[in-house]
Amino acid sequence: MNLHRIDYRDGDALGAVLLVAIAIGLPFAVADRFYLNLLFLILLYGGLASAWNLLGGYAGQFSLGHTAFFGIGAYSSTLLYTMAGVSPWLGALGGMAISMALAFLISYPVFRLRGVFFAMATIAVGETVRIVLLWYRRIADIPYGISIDYKPGFGRMIFAEPRSYALMAGIFLLLVVGVCYAVSRSRAGYYLQALRDNEDAAQAVGIDLRRYKLIAFLISAAFTSLGGTLMAQYVLYIEPSTVFNTTISIDVALMSILGGIGTLWGPLLGAAVTMPLQEFLRDWLGSAGAGAHLVVYGALLVVIVMLLPQGIVGAWKDRSAKRRRHGGQHARG
Amino acid sequence: METVLQLLISGVLLGGVYALGAMGLNLIFGVAKVVNFAHGEFLMIGMYAAYWLWKLTGLNPYAGAPVILVFGAAIGWIFYRCLIRYTIYKTEMTQVFATLGLSIVLQNFALMLFSADFLTVKVFTADWESIPFLGGYVSTTRLVSFLFAAVAMVLTLLFMKRTYTGRAIEAVSQDLSAARLVGIDVNKVLTVAFALGIGLTVLAGGVLVPSFYAFPTVGSSFVLISFVAVVLGGLGNVAGTVAGGLILGVIETLVGYLEPDLKEATHFVLLIVLLAFLPNGLFGVGGAEKEGLK
Repeated sequence: MNLHRIDYRDGDALGAVLLVAIAIGLPFAVADRFYLNLLFLILLYGGLASAWNLLGGYAGQFSLGHTAFFGIGAYSSTLLYTMAGVSPWLGALGGMAISMALAFLISYPVFRLRGVFFAMATIAVGETVRIVLLWYRRIADIPYGISIDYKPGFGRMIFAEPRSYALMAGIFLLLVVGVCYAVSRSRAGYYLQALRDNEDAAQAVGIDLRRYKLIAFLISAAFTSLGGTLMAQYVLYIEPSTVFNTTISIDVALMSILGGIGTLWGPLLGAAVTMPLQEFLRDWLGSAGAGAHLVVYGALLVVIVMLLPQGIVGAWKDRSAKRRRHGGQHARG
Repeated sequence: METVLQLLISGVLLGGVYALGAMGLNLIFGVAKVVNFAHGEFLMIGMYAAYWLWKLTGLNPYAGAPVILVFGAAIGWIFYRCLIRYTIYKTEMTQVFATLGLSIVLQNFALMLFSADFLTVKVFTADWESIPFLGGYVSTTRLVSFLFAAVAMVLTLLFMKRTYTGRAIEAVSQDLSAARLVGIDVNKVLTVAFALGIGLTVLAGGVLVPSFYAFPTVGSSFVLISFVAVVLGGLGNVAGTVAGGLILGVIETLVGYLEPDLKEATHFVLLIVLLAFLPNGLFGVGGAEKEGLK
């Protein structure tokens, strides 16, 4: 796999300032309700895609089952709140713990697999969790869709101001990107890069593959779960078909790839392109019949994947690398 | 005892459905080693094609099978020429997402054209909907699709083993550059493999429309099942795929009898366990999954 080095260089401080400005500043700068909703989605999905990227991009484990963790996050906090009155802040932690436990369990079979087989097995994990939930719903008598009563309050993680949600998503994004950054600069980050680029060689030099893949998987699952809780609290309604949906898995992977897989900024950039594009297409083609916007979206996806397999950040680096090169060394790893 | 026999029979018949659906995927994924996540959507296309053939000309899907097969082969040809040709030498990730993108396009295009209604074709009159078989009753449409699976298997096997093109496909599958070196026109061979593989998939969809409803997202429920059947039977093994489909059908039916809500999960759990612990399937060649998909 010809991917890119994990990002870090002198521009780090500048990048951090820019990121804080986007994640914390923008929610205050935007006033319009429509754009606040869009901003919330971009920041939330930016965080989710970054979480995916930790496993899919840095560790090269191409998961298409992250909806399992998203759904677990949404369901854990919602069920705990609606049935036992537990604050969603605590419920989110519970969901993260369950997601990590699930990730730990399934890591045994799925880490034996590579490439498309890993992707298929993780799709199967996502579907299995959904089916098991549907089954459990029947015996435990849980309604199909669950709504959360709109009673604003910080402890209930329900806000009257859309701005607060955008801010919350911004903090979520900062948290995920911060952890990704820390991991990428740590010893584990270099090991992940090594095993992604060549698993056999990494094993040969003594890297404990399972251990480092598992670290990436656990962090990735936990943050995806947290994102699920935030989404549930934003929409205040969940049902199995919306929170356990392979489309979510595909979307977060797609955003990373589109932006630049294995890079720090790629997932956020991918979310910032994809989300407005979806909204715009829906708006523009909404009258052309149900599904019209997704036809265009899917076609764009095919074209982009074919033309920019390294994503926006990757293509950008390629260009600047070419410009820097004077017949001498190639800047790519 | 009676119940077990009944369950086994209906399991095998359901398995025939799965085997038929997986046959084309085996050629494309198992033999040609190309990842195709839009597999289910080609099945969906077949279902709609059969429905409209019946609606417009009155020809039922069984009688119209040759027409549907030719139509599917044409689609497979276009699919290879317009998309796969450009992704085949790229990374697996590109293949996965290019075909996932295509599946989004096809699903939603179907939604635009046909809306989300459930469509089906009635072939048999009420008297003939099920027929007595080994002391019980079986669904006639399932039985017919089982027969189609058997015929498709025999013809595919003959094609793969007895014709030059079939063996050339096998050669390309084993070693692409070596095949090219001995003078096989790889592009042409793969075009044929795709025409045949997608043709079979579309045909399968057509044959299934009397027993399953056609709707835009029907394919997504079949795509992983087909992957499981192919992997279970061993990548590239035609008879293995059929056996894999049958085993899946039987397991699903047995689990469904005990706990109906969990029967769907059987494929997925099986897929995870199988990939992890028996990646070469029951009848596969050792190392096939690594050699082919790197």
